[in-house]
Amino acid sequence: MLAGLAGEAGPYRRLLDELSGLLRAYYRRRCPPGVDAEDLVQETLIAVHTRRATYDTGQPFTAWAYAIARYKLIDALRRGRAHLRAPAEEADALFAPAGADAAMARRDLERVMAELPARTRDLIRDVKVTGLSTREAADKHGMSESAVKVAVHRGLKSLGGKYGGAAGRGD
Amino acid sequence: METDELIHSLSGNLAPVAPGAVARRIATGLGLGALASTAVMLGWLGLRADLAQALETPMFWMKFGYAALTGLFLAGVLTRLARPAVRPGLLALVAGAPLLAVATMAVVRLVNAPPQLQHALLMGHSSSLCPWRILVIGLPPLVGAVWAVRGLAPTRLLPAGLVAGGCAGALGAAIYAFACNETSAPFLAIWYTLGMALVAAVGATAGSRLLRWR
Repeated sequence: MLAGLAGEAGPYRRLLDELSGLLRAYYRRRCPPGVDAEDLVQETLIAVHTRRATYDTGQPFTAWAYAIARYKLIDALRRGRAHLRAPAEEADALFAPAGADAAMARRDLERVMAELPARTRDLIRDVKVTGLSTREAADKHGMSESAVKVAVHRGLKSLGGKYGGAAGRGD
Repeated sequence: METDELIHSLSGNLAPVAPGAVARRIATGLGLGALASTAVMLGWLGLRADLAQALETPMFWMKFGYAALTGLFLAGVLTRLARPAVRPGLLALVAGAPLLAVATMAVVRLVNAPPQLQHALLMGHSSSLCPWRILVIGLPPLVGAVWAVRGLAPTRLLPAGLVAGGCAGALGAAIYAFACNETSAPFLAIWYTLGMALVAAVGATAGSRLLRWR
């Protein structure tokens, strides 16, 4: 960076190259939905370049560049939020990474459960996912409590056999 | 555009940066603002009639010194806050020293004054005007400071706006000292400080919006 401030293009170019790799990794993990991480990388490189006079030569370069990267990230989040109309969407955007995980898990669950007989599937969903008691599930489906228990157990066991035991946990 | 091309074009036309560019830009913004403030003060209030005699009294220099030193220190803090990831540092404490000195003198003066004089020492004859005048005279340097700082790279906008406002208010007060003929330390400690605080409040409020840079 010192060479860059002095106007030496070669070392400055290597610095920006290296920095762009670090920024890519930084934004890949934090980039808000709907924003291209590469856009943020480029915006930050431009800011680093046009505002390079604000780099204090006694300061660690990484701390300076990181602060600019963080500012750009906050700026992108703020702009993204301004485009959303309803507060619910705002919350959605904030928790999007967690929300996406949950949606993916739900999709997996549906796919796996589709392989079970309809009755067993409903029972497992009621007891293990919705959270009904065995008694309530038994009433709902017109079965005895012990029949519900047996059906759920068998269903989970067969899933467990197919998917390496992961689906059988949580008893 | 590909990032590689961008890097290529950025490093292609690379002009060297002179050291002290940040301080120079802030000095330019504040300086032009102070010039405008002086014009406002002269056109609106005019110099105090007894300025020539006042320049020989310690009270004038205490007023001017309090405001000017505070402004100078806060300008130093502002050059730090205009850079990413730089904390205000010890200079922020030093910037409070003139206020501490003036406040101490004010208390000493009040405690030693006869009770019937205390009200006059505190209120002077222009207490209801002084802070507002400082607010008005402090606005041009605030505009200059905002222009300077948003061209740099502040990353904590609220503190930067607060300090820009405080600095502009102090410069405004230093300029107002040439128009104001109050002569008591308690007056100075309260009403000058309040005027500076008003500009600081404007800076803090406007700062987080106006200082945003892209």
